[in-house]
This record gives sequence, C-alpha cells and structure tokens, in this order.
Amino acid sequence: MGAELGKYKTCVSARSTDKEILKHAQDGGIVTSLFGFALDEGIIDGAIVAATKEFAHKHPEKAMMDNSNMEFHEPWRPIPVVITTKADLLAAAGTKYNLSPNVSLIKEATRSFGLDKVGIVGTPCQMQAIRKGQLYPIGLRDVGASIALALGIFCMENFPYQSILQLVEDHAAMKMEAVKKMEIGKGKFWVYGKRGQVVQLPLKVTHKYEQPGCHVCLDYVANLGDISTGSVGSPDGWSTVFVRSKIGDSVWAKAMAAGCFETQPIEKVKPGLEMVSKLANEKITKNKATVESRKTFGVGKGLRIPYI
Amino acid sequence: MNNSTLNEAIILSKVVEISPTTRHEGHSKLVLKVNDAGIIETGNWCSITPVRGVEKLAVGKTPEQVPKIASRVCGICPIAHTIAATEAMEASIKCEIPKDALMLRHILQLANRLHSIALHDILILPDFYIPGTETKINPFTPEEPVRSVAKRIQRLREIGQTIGQISGGECIHPSNTRVGGMYRNVSEQAKHKMYDLAKEGLVLAHQQADFMIAVIRSYHKRDFVDVGGMKVALPKDLGYHNQGYLATHAFYGTSSQEEHPTWDLNRFKDTRPWDWYMGEMTVDLEEPRYPVGGTTKIGTKVNPQMEACTSIPLYDGQPVEVGPRARLVTFKKFDEKGTRGQNIAREMEYQDCCYEMMDSLDELNTSGKVLADYIPQGDGSIGWATNEAPRGCDAHIARVKNWKVQYFNMLVPTTWNFATCSKALEGAPWQLAEVVMRGYDPCVSCATHMIVLDEDNKLVAQKLIQ
Repeated sequence: MGAELGKYKTCVSARSTDKEILKHAQDGGIVTSLFGFALDEGIIDGAIVAATKEFAHKHPEKAMMDNSNMEFHEPWRPIPVVITTKADLLAAAGTKYNLSPNVSLIKEATRSFGLDKVGIVGTPCQMQAIRKGQLYPIGLRDVGASIALALGIFCMENFPYQSILQLVEDHAAMKMEAVKKMEIGKGKFWVYGKRGQVVQLPLKVTHKYEQPGCHVCLDYVANLGDISTGSVGSPDGWSTVFVRSKIGDSVWAKAMAAGCFETQPIEKVKPGLEMVSKLANEKITKNKATVESRKTFGVGKGLRIPYI
Repeated sequence: MNNSTLNEAIILSKVVEISPTTRHEGHSKLVLKVNDAGIIETGNWCSITPVRGVEKLAVGKTPEQVPKIASRVCGICPIAHTIAATEAMEASIKCEIPKDALMLRHILQLANRLHSIALHDILILPDFYIPGTETKINPFTPEEPVRSVAKRIQRLREIGQTIGQISGGECIHPSNTRVGGMYRNVSEQAKHKMYDLAKEGLVLAHQQADFMIAVIRSYHKRDFVDVGGMKVALPKDLGYHNQGYLATHAFYGTSSQEEHPTWDLNRFKDTRPWDWYMGEMTVDLEEPRYPVGGTTKIGTKVNPQMEACTSIPLYDGQPVEVGPRARLVTFKKFDEKGTRGQNIAREMEYQDCCYEMMDSLDELNTSGKVLADYIPQGDGSIGWATNEAPRGCDAHIARVKNWKVQYFNMLVPTTWNFATCSKALEGAPWQLAEVVMRGYDPCVSCATHMIVLDEDNKLVAQKLIQ
C-alpha cells in the first residue's frame, strides 16, 4: 500500500456508540457523531452538511438563498445547509449520492451565519477546494482561519441529480419518495425501499450516469480532510476512519476519550485496508488514463486537466 | 492698500507645490500661493488621480450591476458608494425596502465608519506630538504608549470590518446589498456576534476617542510645531473657513423617496475646476526639507485649472463642507471650527457608531424578510440618494428605465470638500497645508470625475448634470 491512501496518523474501523445516530446514519455514523461531539465541545459552532431539499424548504434561513426552485418537489436532492444543533444534524444524516455544493456555503457561513469555527463535510474534491481556499484566499477573506474541522468522505465518483432520478425511477423502477436508503457496496448500487423492497444495480449500469468531471480525480480517500471516512474496508454498519491532520488527531482523541465511538483495529476486520487500497488504485489508474487521453483531446488543444 | 502696494504684494507672493500629498487615500496635490511670511494667500487642492469613468461605465448596465461598479471606485468607503448607488436605483424605480434590510444597511454603514475613523487615526497621528513632550508620534513604533494605541486601532478596524462582513457579506465591496433590499438576513447567532463586537468596540472607541482628543487639543495649544526641521508658528484659526456645512443625516442618509428629504437636488450645481482654480504658474519656492523628499522644484510649470480631475459641486451657489463636523454641527450643535474641530468631531463619532449599531441591532428582526416583494423596472424618472460616508455626504443620482441605467452621477464627499478646503487653506502657513487637508480625511480617487481633454488640453466633453 502506498500513496493511494494519502498521509494518515491512524486508521481504524469505527462506529458510533449513539444508537439514535446509527439509526439515521449511512454506515458507522462517523461524520454525524464527530460533528455532534464537536458542536457539544465548542470545537465548531456550526457545520456545513448536505441536507435534503425538504429540510432546506422547511428552514430556508439555514440554506443558501440561490435560484433553486424550492417549491419544486425533488426528493433526495441534497442542499447544503448550515446546522448548529444535533437535531438538525440528525435530519441531515446519510449519503445522498448526488452533488451537494457544500463549499458554496463556506463563505456565507462566516458571514451572515456568524460562525467563527466552521465544520464542513465533503468529497475529496471539496476537501481540495477547502484547502486551496485556505492557501489562496481569493474571495475568501478571513474564511480560511475559520475552518475548524474538515471531514472528507471516500468517493469513487458522483452523480448529478438527474442521473440518480434515472437510476432509481427507471432502472430500479422505484419512486424517489419511496426510497429509504441508497448505497454503493459490494460492486453494486443498492436501493432500499420504504416498503422493504431492495433493488441492486450492477455498477456497469451506473457508469454512464456518472459526472464526467469525476473521471480526472485521483483522490479516493479524501487525502486532504482532517479526518476521512467511508464504508469501504470495514464490515457492514462500520466505517473506515483515517485520522490525518493534527486537528483531526486532537478531535478524534477527544471524541474517543468521550466514548463517542467503538473501534476495531483495521488489520483485524474484513475486508480491511487491502480493499480500500485496491479501490483507490483502481480509481487512480482508471482516471489517470482519462487524464492522459484528455491531453490530446480535441483538435490541437487539450482539455483542462487539474492534475498535470 | 493703494495700487502700488497691491501690485507689490502680487509680485511678492510665491508659488509652492506639494505633490503628491501623503497619508490619505488617492493622489492629490497642493498648489499654494504664499506671501513673504510663508502664509497661504490662495490655496488650490486638486485631485490628480486618473479619471475612473465609473459614471460612463454605468450607462446601459442593469441597476444591480451599477452599485457593484460604483463601489469599486475606491476601497476605503465602498460601503457608502454601494448603499448610495443602490438607494439611488431604488429611488429611481420607486422601490420601498423592508425595515430589516434597512437595519442591516445601517449596521453595514456604521461598521464602515468605525473602521475608517480608526484608519484615519493612523494617518494623522504622525502630525501630532505625545502630549507634554517634543516627540512626534510614530504609530508604528514598538514603544509604549503608542504601541497599545496602534493595537487598539487595529482591533477597532477588525471589529468594524467583521461587523461589515457579517451584515453585508464583505467588508470591502459588500456583496449582500441588492436593489430592493439585502441578499439575506443574518442568523440569530450572527446578530449576537455583531452585538458582542459592538460592545467590545464601544469600550475601545471611548478609550481611543479620549486619547485622540487629548492629543489633538494638546497639538493645537502649541505655539510652534516642527515640520521637517522647520519651526512653524501654529495659528489658532488653522483651517477656519466661512463656507457652509452640508449633512443629510446624523449617520445614515436620505433619498428622494422620503417625504421630507434633507438634501435638495435643485440646490446643487456642478461647476468646472477652472472657474475656481488658479491658472498656469511657475513654482518659485522650493523647500527640500519638507517631508518627504521636499516640495516641487523651482521652475516647474503648474496649472491647477487644467490638472484638477474633479468638478466643483456647489450647494446654494457655494462650496460646502461635508464630513463629521458638518454632521455634528447640523445635528448635534457642535461648534468647534477649523482643523481642530474637524478632527475632534471625527473622534466624537467613534462612540456614536457603536451606540447606533447597537440600536439598529435591537431593531433588527433576524427572521424578517429583507427583500421587497415587488421590484419595479423603472420608468426613467430621476432618483437620488445620499449616504453619509465617513468623510461626508455621498450623493448618487440615477435614472433607470426598463431595468437599464440611463444616467448615473456620483457626488462624493471629497469632491464637495476640495473647494472648501482650498478656502480653508488661506491664512495657514504653507508647511501646515497638509495638516489642514488631512483634517478632511480625504478620499481622492472617488472624487475624480469625467472630463475629456484633447491634445491641446482643450475640453471636449464633460459630465454635467443633464
């Protein structure tokens, strides 16, 4: 295992000890628990998370005022919101499998939301944006220093909302409102219905619905998060956690001391780090090929490539 | 005085030029005709900042773009420009904004003033002495007592800018003001943060104002001051003038939408600099000791009439003074005159900023709406709004038709003050001309207007009120 997992201080398999969180969470409830703990401890005074459109509609003061038509019913459409309480955090828990522009709120969080210490969760690309914003704060005056905790989540690729709509409503033949949970695991896209039905789609089907921009990304495990987490590598209901930065280390140690998580050594669990490494390498190899092909794409000019 | 002595006096007066003037925003110069004793007979203070042309850029743009462009004219009081331009658009299209939006604008405006006064303190401090000593103040020295003053100034600026950031999205070039209100209301948490900061600022503002007023008073009690090693007699009426004052509100502004506006477009007239400034002359007094780097070399040709990049706005046919003293004279019966009065008035506004901010925060309902339900497209009628920028009344005039700006004009604070200050220079020793000028807290770049000259320096076009 090499650079594909990024730099990290510790890696464990963990899950929340809070049953209420586990009920709402995607896997081990790591992000929800960490933010909940950080809010309680005053490490952050608010966090930017992906909530549902219904939540944003109910609490417009917590969301970005943009042009999205709030009256237009779109279940499972993620909307970034700033939450300051545990109750809101639970309402926003769980993965939505489509694009949530969390970084768009980072400046406003320090402005009209009045936050001094912001927590943010995001995919690897969003972590890169956050770190870039901290290094080169153009248009982000005073924002960098306010980012107190950045949690990264593993990401192979992401889907636009229309893709998820197509996958669920056409391929899985389920109404969006009737979906309880979506998941990608064991090489399949799983859709769980509220009535108990389970549909699995082979990932081969979902590939064409991916966002093309994701195919140049060479980061699977959110290398730039303070802490990054995802289900891959750990048993069902557990999450793999990489503690990466000093901030991450201190928050994780405090959360452990407070009994927020139960952990198992990553070496002891199946499928373990080998699986994470394998998928990370798969993503990197596959996307490097796209990057290479883009170099000569078009007539006499290549497409913009962020990694070369 | 018979004719021969009059002629002698004219012959005896010398011309000295201080260019560029320092420790203020923008690029300006002083051309002074002085007598034998070095006392200014005629003073011309002119902007030589290149023309921005914002008023031309605005034509044809949409009303929401123009305040953003207008704001870019300068980074010291962009908030005043944004608010005045936005409200001029609203006045033209006749759009009433919700109360909470107005409260947010009040807070934004005061935050800007708080940080601007603090900045001005840093700029004028080197003119003054530590009271009771012969040591001039260097605000950047690591030694006490100046060090803690500098730190206090920095904190006050930080407080002002942070409050501006929260209420307006950005402390320089605020992004949240919109035609019709504000982009969004603040959260309850943000309101508390602003309140806490205003409270902290109030304590510091009291301390800072006390310190500055003591320093200013002790300076003006002196008989002589030192300028670049020259011992200069300090007149007790430094900076006195007999022009009127113009202030439209104790801290905010007015607009043509109001039932009883405190400014009248019909009493205003724009004139050209060559009606007011001196013509071509040759510099015949040079002082290499004058800080920094001496005055302009003897033999240099100067022509304030043609070099000045401003227009001269008149109110009731006369140049007027705008700024903190004008506000305090108009609304709070302040009666100190001259440069001393100006600087003290500015310091007295420190605490007012924080008090007003807290009052506005008390009034602010964080769940209230901040955008008007209906925003008209504009029928082409003239609308104007004034905003009391830190350095004076900033009046913007606009005409919007079918959501396009047809006409836009900015009468910014320092434009008003140029001619007034030129009058105030008379009777002062020329070495103190910059002290008088700094009393106006000049912000020159936005004062620069649209004048087009051809190759022979002949005027071919000028932006006048249409």
